[in-house]
Amino acid sequence: MEVSTLTTIAFWAASAMTLGLAVIVVTQRDVFRAAIALAGSFLGVGIIYFVLSAEFVGVVQILVYVGAISVLMAFAVMFIQDIAAGSRPAQGRVVGAVVAVLIFSAIAFTAYNTNWSTMDEITDPVAVAALTESFFEVGTGDEIEIFLEAPLDSDDVVVESGGVFVNGTGSLGVLLVREYMLAFEIIGLLLVAALIGGLLMMRDPSGRKSRTPEPEPETGDTSV
Amino acid sequence: MTIESVLLVSGALFAIGAYGAFSRRNLVTVIMSLELMFNGVVIALVAFSRFTPSAALLSGDPVTAEAIRSALTGQAFAIFVTAVAAGEAALAFALVFAMYRASESVEITDASEMKN
Repeated sequence: MEVSTLTTIAFWAASAMTLGLAVIVVTQRDVFRAAIALAGSFLGVGIIYFVLSAEFVGVVQILVYVGAISVLMAFAVMFIQDIAAGSRPAQGRVVGAVVAVLIFSAIAFTAYNTNWSTMDEITDPVAVAALTESFFEVGTGDEIEIFLEAPLDSDDVVVESGGVFVNGTGSLGVLLVREYMLAFEIIGLLLVAALIGGLLMMRDPSGRKSRTPEPEPETGDTSV
Repeated sequence: MTIESVLLVSGALFAIGAYGAFSRRNLVTVIMSLELMFNGVVIALVAFSRFTPSAALLSGDPVTAEAIRSALTGQAFAIFVTAVAAGEAALAFALVFAMYRASESVEITDASEMKN
């Protein structure tokens, strides 16, 4: 699995964009600017996914993070007037810096001191060809065989899949609805639960049904 | 571009997010930092899927379709994590709004009603 120079350049450029904008997110006092920088940082992460040949994850990243979560952040910033005062740093700054340096050095140490197995260790020629080109599944149920070229004289069901490293989206879809079927369903349930929970929490706690302004209840203590 | 360099970027993003989560007082920026940490984790998952072979492909057994697709397990996990993060962000903002309505503030130092 050779990586071309152009891919490497694209990777480092996207990484620089992601990390630089992430630093702006955590240091910028103006919350709205931080939200804009966050959207750019998410976009950089999406480019990194494309460079890592995970196209579908990249598209999901751009749709969900750049499209939805960034807009949610912008709405939050605009709803809360208090935010115009800016985000002041908390006392935990030194602790945070120490924790961040420790986490980063632990990860870097592990990354460079682990003998990672590489894709070159796959020696089976059928596996290599199926991963990088395409393969055909012949048969149904438990009796599925793998061929690299379409068998012409077969009466069984023949399904063609792209090599997972060059065209992995179809295989990813099959993986999601076969191996991870239960997790896939539970994620759907979780999103519905989050939707209902969010609506419940956002509801006006005083329980007013109509949106028409009612006269303010006359209480003496206006400020708490 | 090797797995080490991708893990380095992933770790850097996670560390920046951790620093932000500790050092900001505004709840909205704390949530932004948490999202950065989520992204760092997902980059690591995709990198493992891209650079390291699954055990099924190294075992030497005859290749099956499941073994070939297992090379994409990291990407499947990345999608699950993204979905959970999206739900978490929506709920977190609902909590921020609820807190803002209750105490007219979104600073974590003011979120002390449940103390004592």
